[in-house]
Amino acid sequence: MIINTCSGAMSFAKELENESAKFYQNLSERFTKDKDVFLSFAKENGEYITQIERAYYGVISDALEGCFAFNINPQEYGLKTDFAEKASYSEALGRALEIEEKIIKFYSDAAEQSKSLMADVPRAFKIVAKKRSNRQSTLKALLDKKD
Amino acid sequence: MAILEEPIKEAMELKNYINGEWVESKSKQILDVVNPATQKLLARVPMSTKEEVLDAINAAKEAFPEWRRTTPLARVRCLFRLKELMEKNFEPLSRVQTMEHGKTIDESRGETRRGIEMVEVGTGIPSLMMGYNLEDIAAGIDEYVIYQPLGVFAHIAPFNFPFMVPLWYSPFALATGNTFIVKPSPRDPISQVKLAELFDEAGFPPGVYNLIHGGAEAAQILMEHPDIKGITFVGSTSIGREVYKKCGETCKRSAVQVSAKNFLLVMPDVDINATIAALLTSFFGNAGQRCLSGANLVMVGKDDGFYKKFLNTFVEATSKIKVGYGLDETIQMGPMQSVDGKERTKKYIEIGIKEKGKLILDGRKPTIVGNYPDTCFINPTVFENVTPDMTIGREEIFGPVASVMRAKDLDEAIQWINNSNYGNAASIFTSNGKAAREVQYRVECGNIGINIGIVAPMAFFPFSGMKDSFFGVLHGQGKDAIRFFTETKVVVQRWF
Repeated sequence: MIINTCSGAMSFAKELENESAKFYQNLSERFTKDKDVFLSFAKENGEYITQIERAYYGVISDALEGCFAFNINPQEYGLKTDFAEKASYSEALGRALEIEEKIIKFYSDAAEQSKSLMADVPRAFKIVAKKRSNRQSTLKALLDKKD
Repeated sequence: MAILEEPIKEAMELKNYINGEWVESKSKQILDVVNPATQKLLARVPMSTKEEVLDAINAAKEAFPEWRRTTPLARVRCLFRLKELMEKNFEPLSRVQTMEHGKTIDESRGETRRGIEMVEVGTGIPSLMMGYNLEDIAAGIDEYVIYQPLGVFAHIAPFNFPFMVPLWYSPFALATGNTFIVKPSPRDPISQVKLAELFDEAGFPPGVYNLIHGGAEAAQILMEHPDIKGITFVGSTSIGREVYKKCGETCKRSAVQVSAKNFLLVMPDVDINATIAALLTSFFGNAGQRCLSGANLVMVGKDDGFYKKFLNTFVEATSKIKVGYGLDETIQMGPMQSVDGKERTKKYIEIGIKEKGKLILDGRKPTIVGNYPDTCFINPTVFENVTPDMTIGREEIFGPVASVMRAKDLDEAIQWINNSNYGNAASIFTSNGKAAREVQYRVECGNIGINIGIVAPMAFFPFSGMKDSFFGVLHGQGKDAIRFFTETKVVVQRWF
């Protein structure tokens, strides 16, 4: 079902963060060499949730378009968080990059769609999207190092 | 998406909060409070006896002298604690509103946030309540103004914002040193009970804040009692007019914020998509049950192409609004708060049809997301070819109905607004500054929106209103509220 409401968008963002955090937890257990990096990603996901919720709860107003701001199709941002038992490190990192790309797209789209709300909400989405872009660089560096 | 967890698990027996104690009512007259979406019983609310209302008044009267002597800083510390407790309980407070009123969870959270903002502004009282002075008005003589609290104030609350509306007043009344009695709407009183629990926890002294359940009889006692210094009321114009008269007879202050019929003007130069989202919120948010809701959508100008394109987009977007239980996060519009509200709205739709309005979206047979009884549900409705003299163009419906009109130019549209008995809010959607200024300058409404669908003033501005939408002088919120809750004392001083 298409998500139009702020509440729905926030819950969906939380879902993406929790799913990807779980993915990085698994990655840290499976590929212990870069365990600290993956665990820090998982921890950051929790911080992103806090950041977004703080923006939402801080400025939500019944007077703005809270129930009509978004047009998000969750299927467009579905994450593949599983990887095969025998998946190589490169394959796992490739999966991580795909996840990050999907989540960045979600946050960028959400920021664009929530422009009519108070500035805090789209700004929070943009900040998280930017931080995740940095994460992409880290993942690419790990992939290069591996090669 | 899952339905959010309901904070009320079983039916509550509601009590009055008098003199810092939760007191069971002796009344035999008990009303049910029902979740309008699920029809489940949420609470039983007593229609308090005359003695109980008098107990609340006495408690507030007795608490006044000491509370008035409490320093403004100490008074606002109670408000700071209240704010913290409201933040801590933000989510359950919001979900209770959805359960007892029907509004969506986003709308309820918005209401909670606005309520908290009132408390935040109230905490500024040590600065906001200061008087002013001038030396040497004559040789060796100085003159100054002091703002002093008056005593006991009471608020008679409406059903449409069961949490926020009493907070338009109570933080200002209490911070300025008055004591307060709130009488929630018996249709959805639980939010105020939850709030009173927080007032209690925040450490307001006994009797400073009181809650009394009841209906018209309790309101009548509050309005007539000589120890009540002022009444604030939010509700319908017909009842508000009586409240205002009664307060005049008993020489009380009153701020009476009442009905509306708000016009939203759309000029042909608008950003269509941004405007449509604002209009959907305005007409259908809170299921149309707010005094700032859009009622008449006036398309300005003779451009048929623009008119058709805009109306089609508006109707298409309206037809896609998801209606259901507000604790489902995908829902964009909840049920009406009561069966009466739904029936009244249906009656107006029938009148609109009889008066030759063109019904282009009929919400009378609702489509509901989820398996809920349709008792209080109605879908968004749109009429075309409405004129300002038709009943649906003139009277407040207080439901999710948009009446589309066409004005040949801005002058005609402004004339229509000014001919209305009501003067609560009006908005213009345009990219033309001159047109916007014309509306701001000429329209006889208290709250003007420029590219805004719901013209809700922030806590630090007054919630205005004119004509049959407001009776009184000073409004709720902001500096008006501080003046409303204080008496101006002038001192002229000379020392020999």
